[in-house]
Amino acid sequence: MIEVSPGIRSYLLSIADDKHFVGQQHAEWIGVAPFLEEDLAFCSIGQDELGHAALIYELLVGDDDLAIDALAFGRSLDEYRSCWFVEQTYTEWSESLVRHWMFDTADALRWADLGQSSIAELAAIAARVEREEVFHRLHADNLLDALLLDAESSAILRSAASRLAPFALGMFDPVQEEAEAVAEGVVSRPFSESLEAWKQLAEHRFGPLLWGNPPDQAHRTKRSIEFRALLGRMREVIEIDLHAVW
Amino acid sequence: MVTYEVFLKKDGRDEFRHAGALDAANDELALVLARESYARRAEGDRLWVVRREHVIVADDEFVSPNADKPHRHHDGSAVAARRKSLREQGS
Repeated sequence: MIEVSPGIRSYLLSIADDKHFVGQQHAEWIGVAPFLEEDLAFCSIGQDELGHAALIYELLVGDDDLAIDALAFGRSLDEYRSCWFVEQTYTEWSESLVRHWMFDTADALRWADLGQSSIAELAAIAARVEREEVFHRLHADNLLDALLLDAESSAILRSAASRLAPFALGMFDPVQEEAEAVAEGVVSRPFSESLEAWKQLAEHRFGPLLWGNPPDQAHRTKRSIEFRALLGRMREVIEIDLHAVW
Repeated sequence: MVTYEVFLKKDGRDEFRHAGALDAANDELALVLARESYARRAEGDRLWVVRREHVIVADDEFVSPNADKPHRHHDGSAVAARRKSLREQGS
């Protein structure tokens, strides 16, 4: 557990919340992914993302499970700092796979800037995250390599990528307090400086994309329409009995 | 899709053991999917995947005659009985 200013806390929450919700979205494919092996692999990757989120939550509140749960599941909507890209629930496999690739390639750039963080614990988490994310990217790239060879699959995936592109831009929309995080050396530079490099990676992967404008998420202080339902699904069990002891 | 057989080995002297099978689009994806399907809780630290078509399978008739060779089962009981009998005769 570390003591940080409200601004740095907000910045760290933006990273953790993105991981938390993309992990949840991936995990919801359990049992319904296109084939069994992919079902397991995709949900395992989702589980890793949840684990990465938990590491940052733990950094902020310590290793007490109830405190971590309260931070992860118990904030009011305006206290979350996720981007809208991870709040969208995609029921098309193609969209989920494209998000997997887009999120993980962007996330790799973000964590690369955290490797020398002035918060030593965060730098250590960055190293651990990268050890696991290598395999996530290997999975996404290999599956896309195989699917993009097929004309029908390729058309479906490229169409999905264009639909997702504006939302994906929202990943690079930082919390307002990012400047404080840069000034204090928590992160080496603003995430937006990685945007052009990431767009080139995305267009190299999917071809030209219709980027449009990012969603109006007000530096991550506003939640998307889909968020309430997402959080509701995540709190479904806990709300059966808020005082239950497990 | 290609069907692969998956083998895992734990650290130490244990041998590779068959863990299961899976379908994948290519060899590299087979490794990724095997890692997440069969070794996701560190059930092994070494992993092989083998295309099922590359497994050389013996016919049942080729193997089954060996099920009827009691003389290859050396539990020593016949020899022990004979030695015991000889000892008793000698005493």
